[in-house]
Amino acid sequence: MPEEMVTAQIDVFRHDPAGGGAPRYQRFTLELPPHTPVLTALLRIRAEQDPSLTLRYSCRSAICGSCAMQINSKSRLACQTPIGPEIAEHGRIVIEPMRNQGGVRDLVVDQTSFWEAYDRMRPHLITDPLRPMPEGRETSMTPAQVEQFRETPRCIACAACYSACPAVEADAAFPGPMALAKLYRFVVDPRDQARQDRLVRIQTEGLWLCLRCHLCTEACPKDVRPSERIRDLKEMAIAAQGGTERGSRHAIGFKQNIRERGQLNEMKLVLQTDGILGSVGQAGQGFKIWRKKPEISKKPRRIEGIEEIEQIYEALDPKPKGDR
Amino acid sequence: MRRHEVLVVGAGLAGQRAALAAVEARRDVAILSKLHPLRSHSGAAQGGINAAVGKEDSVDTHIYDTVKGSDYLGDQDAIEFFCREAGPTVVEMEHYGTIFSRAEDGSLARRPFGGQGFPRTIYAADRTGLALLQALWERLGTEHFTLYQEWDLTNIVVREGRVQGIVAFDRRTGQFEGIAAKSVVVATGPAGRIYGRTTNAHTCTGDGIAAAYDAGALLKDLEFVQFHPTALLESGILITEGARGEGGILKNVLGERFMGKYAPHVLDLASRDVVSRAIVTEVREGRGFPGDFVHLELMHLGKERIETRLQEICDFCRNFAGVDPVVDPIPIFPAQHYMMGGVGTNIRGETNIAGLYAAGEAACVSIHGANRLGGNSLLETLVFGKQAGLAAAAYAASASAPELHDSDIADAEAPVRRMMSRTDGEDPQAIRTAMQQTMDRYVGIYRTESDLLEGLRQIRAIQKRFERVRVVDRSNVYNLNLTDALETGHMLELAEVIVVGAFARTESRGAHSRVDFPSRDDAHWMRHTLARKTPEGPNLSYAPVGYTRWEPKERVY
Ligand SMILES: Cc1cc2nc3c(=O)[nH]c(=O)nc-3n(C[C@H](O)[C@H](O)[C@H](O)COP(=O)(O)OP(=O)(O)OC[C@H]3O[C@@H](n4cnc5c(N)ncnc54)[C@H](O)[C@@H]3O)c2cc1C
Ligand code: SF4
Ligand code: SF4
Ligand code: FES
Repeated sequence: MPEEMVTAQIDVFRHDPAGGGAPRYQRFTLELPPHTPVLTALLRIRAEQDPSLTLRYSCRSAICGSCAMQINSKSRLACQTPIGPEIAEHGRIVIEPMRNQGGVRDLVVDQTSFWEAYDRMRPHLITDPLRPMPEGRETSMTPAQVEQFRETPRCIACAACYSACPAVEADAAFPGPMALAKLYRFVVDPRDQARQDRLVRIQTEGLWLCLRCHLCTEACPKDVRPSERIRDLKEMAIAAQGGTERGSRHAIGFKQNIRERGQLNEMKLVLQTDGILGSVGQAGQGFKIWRKKPEISKKPRRIEGIEEIEQIYEALDPKPKGDR
Repeated sequence: MRRHEVLVVGAGLAGQRAALAAVEARRDVAILSKLHPLRSHSGAAQGGINAAVGKEDSVDTHIYDTVKGSDYLGDQDAIEFFCREAGPTVVEMEHYGTIFSRAEDGSLARRPFGGQGFPRTIYAADRTGLALLQALWERLGTEHFTLYQEWDLTNIVVREGRVQGIVAFDRRTGQFEGIAAKSVVVATGPAGRIYGRTTNAHTCTGDGIAAAYDAGALLKDLEFVQFHPTALLESGILITEGARGEGGILKNVLGERFMGKYAPHVLDLASRDVVSRAIVTEVREGRGFPGDFVHLELMHLGKERIETRLQEICDFCRNFAGVDPVVDPIPIFPAQHYMMGGVGTNIRGETNIAGLYAAGEAACVSIHGANRLGGNSLLETLVFGKQAGLAAAAYAASASAPELHDSDIADAEAPVRRMMSRTDGEDPQAIRTAMQQTMDRYVGIYRTESDLLEGLRQIRAIQKRFERVRVVDRSNVYNLNLTDALETGHMLELAEVIVVGAFARTESRGAHSRVDFPSRDDAHWMRHTLARKTPEGPNLSYAPVGYTRWEPKERVY
């Protein structure tokens, strides 16, 4: 069935820091069928109008994770976004580099912080030498256990979620949605033997900085649903915390995190209703109630009532001098 | 000058596996890749990886299927080694963390794949390549090595009969640099973009194969190019056999179910090469749709069956082609899919040059011979990636220090400076498109002497045009215009080798199908083509096929 052509007006962010000159938007106009992916349109521009337009791309089939960019202000894969609906909705297509990552040139961004956050999750199986994998054959894992990974193995590391995440923007210490989804993937892996340690550590390494805004899940082209896995991690982390000795190094860190940043809205609720010790056992339930009306706050900030939490902590163990 | 003992170029499955082996052998290892390792094309493989681990299956049947599939051009000694390594390799990848699909009893799930006697293809949903690539990269991350990320290899330096290192440039700075290395492993993957119609990623441009060829390495069996019958029009994205397995049918412009004429019994389920040839015949005889394609119809299967059983194909069609298989026919055509040939190696990944190794799709061992079996190439990257890494490490342990000179860098950079300073000349994209059209038209599925001669004439003319290639982008930062030009130059060299090899081989074997020589000719042609670069073009010689115990037979399925 022959398709109508549409006139695509594409405004592309251009900047070559090395070449000097201010960033600008350059307008290109093309006639294309509406199903044409944005990537194809950009490659047509490169081939026919301006070969200096710079972007990352490779697979053109949403599997290599190269081509994420801002398309009409949303972080998306260029190869998987058809131009037709964009033009229908916005009249034109504005193409900009991803956010939360410094610019290299045009649409190419510096992904160092994204990859480093991923590395910080210790993304590999950690095994106990005393409990080795079965010799010469695979570890047994049932389809139900495979289900536990949910959609996290689909992640193509495109960083669309990282670009969309307000917590990344606000706090460089936040690992970002992809890294946390990756952590989840290792936490639920029956072959991994560092589950407890991972869950305890992450609490001082940014888990609680997530704002539960779900923008990552909305941005993800592979339906990995990072925000839901982060929620699971928080639940598991609290349960894991319940299992460690009070006063352990990790537990202290956990409390400090709450005290300093005060971003634990869930925790605040649980703490206020049940008190600290009571809350641990109740955590799962508390979350369920709370999840029904998620609060969306754009920036991590010290939550209201942080003083109260601080007072509770102060009473339990006085803040060391020189802290903060 | 930067210096390493082992330098692996390419960070797909083959390169990563080579690097891991070399690191484990305690060498100082670096990986250089034009893409972040996780963006390598290995991640696109969906179907699975072969290993005869089932109780009913055996390594011998895997060997036999591979030998037969290769149309007796595969080296049987290499294939035997390869199939024996399959089980341990898959288990090792499982231990590294790969999340494979599982059977109810907790063992690795297996699916049937074309040309094989048993379901022996182990998989991870519809993303086996991605699952392996993630696990291997994450395993490698626990080791110490240097990563040159988004660096493009341009030259391999060979002097005094051995490798001295490479020249490459960092995309971020545009700076050309020499990296001295005792051994270099070429694992730069396929060159599918030589063709316009290909299932390969845009970055599959054969750079490492061409650099090795320039440095004096012998290229083996490059004329054997596998085509896949069903790729999406325009994008070339692969539509798996599963679509026809579920009952999809092919139709021409007259609405005829044409496979009845070519394979009266199995119809649309005939093997890849039979279906590809049938489609080309329909189009050549004027029964294709305008724009040279045919239709794959799924509509009769019903919405529910399509959306549940063929979910991923459904997504591809909707996301990338703007067709909804529930109501529309899918426009498809055969596309280049896999290169059986590559840098010639033995089972240790050694080439004809001391210190130079190759592995993965860039190499030719040969285990695929004239035709690769689905699921064998992922396995190849791991089995022979490891061998190449071990051999490269062993060589590096005893070799003397390599010597790179400033002139090596200057020599590599000179043509680039010329491209970037020309005030007239042609854009690399236009040259690339011309090459792709020639290869699609004259060096495709059906080959004849006259087509190949015309193809060769055109490729040589395009090579002449390339001498005047112009890079208009003068920036030193992430200059893709320059990358385009370099890649196009590499592909033009390989295109010539493919055509010359195909012209010389006056028989039909596996994926090489000569209309004027329709049968296999074991007496003359059961041998490998070896191409060496000379100023006059590729110089061909031939080498015998490794033979153990499998008598050549006619290949019927
Ligand atoms: C759509 C599709 C589906 C497939 N499905 C299957 C399947 O189900 N089963 C199967 O067994 N096989 C399958 N294959 C084949 C298989 O995926 C490939 O043969 C294999 O993954 C190749 O791996 P590799 O490591 O050799 O190369 P690649 O994964 O392509 O890696 C090449 C590496 O080289 C680097 N590189 C390239 N040029 C340069 C340069 N100039 N400088 C620096 N670095 C460079 C790249 O950055 C990349 O890291 C499929 C192929 C395709 C196209
Ligand atoms: S839900 Fe959390 S991780 Fe996701 S975008 Fe919002 S703040 Fe970031
Ligand atoms: S979680 Fe989704 S959006 Fe984030 S990197 Fe992975 S695939 Fe991309
Ligand atoms: S080009 Fe690979 S994800 Fe878009």
